[in-house]
Amino acid sequence: MPYWYYDKKDLQNTPSYREGIPNDTENRYRKEGARFIIDTGSKMDLGYNTVATGVVYFHRFYMFHSFRTFPRYITACCCLFLAGKVEETPKKCKDIIKVAKSLLTEQKFGTFGDDPKEEVMTLERILLQTIKFDLQVEHPYGYLLKYVKCLKGDKAKLQKMVQMAWTFVNDSLCTTLCLQWEPEVIAVALMFLAGKLSKFEVVDWNGRQPKHNAWWDMFVEDITMELLEDICHQVITELIGATRIGKIVSKINVGRSQCIKWIAL
Amino acid sequence: MQGVSAPREPTQQVISTTSTILNMREKEKYIEDFDFPFCDESSKYEKVAKIGQGTFGEVFKARARNSSKKFVAMKKVLMDNEKEGFPITALREIKILQLLKHENVVNLIEICRTKATLHNKYRSTFYLVFDFCEHDLAGLLSNVNVKFSLGEIKKVMQQLLNGLYYIHSNKILHRDMKAANVLITKNGILKLADFGLARAFSVAKSGQANKYTNRVVTLWYRPPELLLGDRNYGPPVDMWGAGCIMAEMWTRSPIMQGPTEQQQLILISQLCGSCTPDVWPGVENLDLYNKMELPKGQKRKVKERLKPYVKDPYGCDLLDKLLQLDPAKRYDADTALNHDFFWTDPMPCDLANMLAQHTQSMFEYLAPPRRPGHLRHHHHVAGAQAKPTQPVQDSGYQDRVF
Ligand SMILES: Nc1ncnc2c1ncn2[C@@H]1O[C@H](COP(=O)(O)OP(=O)(O)OP(=O)(O)O)[C@@H](O)[C@H]1O
Ligand SMILES: [Mg+2]
Repeated sequence: MPYWYYDKKDLQNTPSYREGIPNDTENRYRKEGARFIIDTGSKMDLGYNTVATGVVYFHRFYMFHSFRTFPRYITACCCLFLAGKVEETPKKCKDIIKVAKSLLTEQKFGTFGDDPKEEVMTLERILLQTIKFDLQVEHPYGYLLKYVKCLKGDKAKLQKMVQMAWTFVNDSLCTTLCLQWEPEVIAVALMFLAGKLSKFEVVDWNGRQPKHNAWWDMFVEDITMELLEDICHQVITELIGATRIGKIVSKINVGRSQCIKWIAL
Repeated sequence: MQGVSAPREPTQQVISTTSTILNMREKEKYIEDFDFPFCDESSKYEKVAKIGQGTFGEVFKARARNSSKKFVAMKKVLMDNEKEGFPITALREIKILQLLKHENVVNLIEICRTKATLHNKYRSTFYLVFDFCEHDLAGLLSNVNVKFSLGEIKKVMQQLLNGLYYIHSNKILHRDMKAANVLITKNGILKLADFGLARAFSVAKSGQANKYTNRVVTLWYRPPELLLGDRNYGPPVDMWGAGCIMAEMWTRSPIMQGPTEQQQLILISQLCGSCTPDVWPGVENLDLYNKMELPKGQKRKVKERLKPYVKDPYGCDLLDKLLQLDPAKRYDADTALNHDFFWTDPMPCDLANMLAQHTQSMFEYLAPPRRPGHLRHHHHVAGAQAKPTQPVQDSGYQDRVF
C-alpha cells in the first residue's frame, strides 16, 4: 500500500540528498517547482484543485527521484498536465509548454530539451508509475469549508478567518506539509493560525460535546497543540521567505509583536 | 531504487544543477533500471489467451508466475497516436475502479508496466490487471447449452442491480451497460466491468445543467433520452441498459438492434410507445426532439411483446418499469431491488451449480455472432445457435490460444 506521509527524518534523507543536493537546496527547488505550478495554473485559469493536485504529485515524485535526474520545471509541467486530466480540466500539453516558456528564463526553459512535448510525454509515464497511479488527491480546501460551517460567531469574522486560512493553504503547497500530514490536519492547523492572527476565538460550535476541548476535536482525533504549532511554524517560515508576512501584519492589523510571537512558536 | 550514480555525501555548498543534470544516455539508463516500487512489471504474469478486443485495447487472460498461479485479466491501455499522453479515458477508468470496491464490481488488482527500453523508446506500456472472471454474460447467452432457470435469472438481475445501486450511490455512471460488460465468475458472482466510459456525476443544481457527452452507451442499449440529445442525464441511463439486459436473459440476444440512431429510436417507439410530452413531460425540450423522426401513435407493447419470452408476470412488470421512456419514471436500482420479482417464488437462486456443468469459459469475443434483428412480433422462443460457443480451456476451463 502506498503511504504518502513521511516523518522529518525521511524528508531529509531524500533521493536528492543522497545524490549530493543539500536539504536547503532541495527545499528551494520544491518551492520553486510548486510556485511555478501555481503560476502556470493560474495563468491558464486552472482551478485551485487542479493546481494543488499537480503540486502534490510533484512533491511525491521527488520522494523517489532526485532533482539531479529530473530538472524541476519540466516535472512541474508534467504534474500540471496530468492533474488537468485527472481533475477533468484538461489542457493541451503544447499550451502548458507555451505558458511555461513565457514564465521561465531561456536558461531554465533549456532544461526542457529539444522537443519539450516529447519530454513531457515520456516523463508522464514515469510520473504515473512513481505515484502508483494514485491519482485522486484530497486537499485542505474542502475541509476548511466544511469546518467553518460548524463554527459559531460573527459571520463576517468567520468569513475573514476562512479566507485567511485559504491563503495559508495556498502557501502550504510550497512546503512539504502535504508529505507529512493528511489534508484534514493541515486544514485544522491553518484555520487555527488564521483564528489567532485575526484575533477570532472560536468559543462555540454546532455539534459540541462535553468531551470536546476545541472545535477540531469534533473532526480529527488526537491533535496536540504541539502538532498545530509545528504546522503553523512551517507555513509561517514559508511566508517569511515569500515576504508576505509584512502584508499580512498590516492587512489584518495584528500587532507586530503578536505576529513575531507566533513566528517564534 | 537509486539512480545510476553511487550515493555521495552531500556537500555543503550549493551545487549548480545545470552542470550536474544527467545527460540523455544516463537518463535513459536510469529509467530503464529504476525499480518502481509501486508498479510491477507485466512479466510477473504469463499471457494465456486473448479474450477481448475493445475500442481501447486488448484483454488477455493471464496467470501469475509466482506460486499462487492465480488467473487475472489484463487490459492493455492503448496509447498509440495519443497526442495528449496517457488517455484521459483510461485515467477516469482507473480513478473510478480504485474508488469502487464491491462484490458486484470487477476488482482492479494493480496496474503493471512493461520495462522501458530503447526498443519502446523508453515508454512503457500499461496494463490494468483484474481478478479473472470465467464468463461474460454475452458469451453465456450466446451458448444454447447454458440454460438459466427463473430463479437464476433473478439472481443475475439482483446482483446486477446491487452493483448499479452501489456505483450510483458513489455518484458514478457506468454509461456502457451491455451483456459483454457484465462478467460472471464460475462461482456465480456477477461483476460489472468496463468502466472505460464511466464518469462521476453531480446532481444538477437548479439552473446549472450538466453538459455530458451523449455519445455514450453501445447503440442497442442506449436509452431514448441520449438518442434525443440529452446532455444532463443521470443514473436512469444505466437502468435502461439494465432493462435491456434483463429482457435479453430470456430472448438470448439484444432486444433492439438498430443499425442507426434513428432506427434505434424507431425500434424503441415500436416497443415502448411514442415519445410524447404526454408520457414524458419535457421530452419536447430535448435538442433532437424536432430533428429526429419520431413515430407517432405507437402503443406501448412492452409487456405484450416480452410476455411470450418472459412468461413470469412479475418479470414482465419489472421490465415495464425499467424500460420507461421518461427517465424520471424509470425505476432506480433501489426501487427495482424491492420489486416483487425478487421476493416471490421461485426466489433468486445461486448460479454456481448451473455453471458447474460448463467447464469452458464463455466470452463474447470468442462466441460466434449472435442472431441479428431479434425480438420478433410473433410468439417465438429464441432459436438454437448454428454453432456453440468456442471452447476455452485450462484448469478445467478451456482456452482458445491465439
Ligand atoms: N476481469 C475480467 N475477467 C474476464 N474477462 C474479462 C475481464 N475484464 C474484461 N474481460 C473480457 O474482455 C472484454 C473486454 O473488456 P472491457 O469491456 O473491459 O474492455 P473494452 O470493451 O475494450 O472497453 P471499451 O468498451 O471501453 O472499449 C469483456 O467483454 C470481457 O469479455
Ligand atoms: Mg467492453
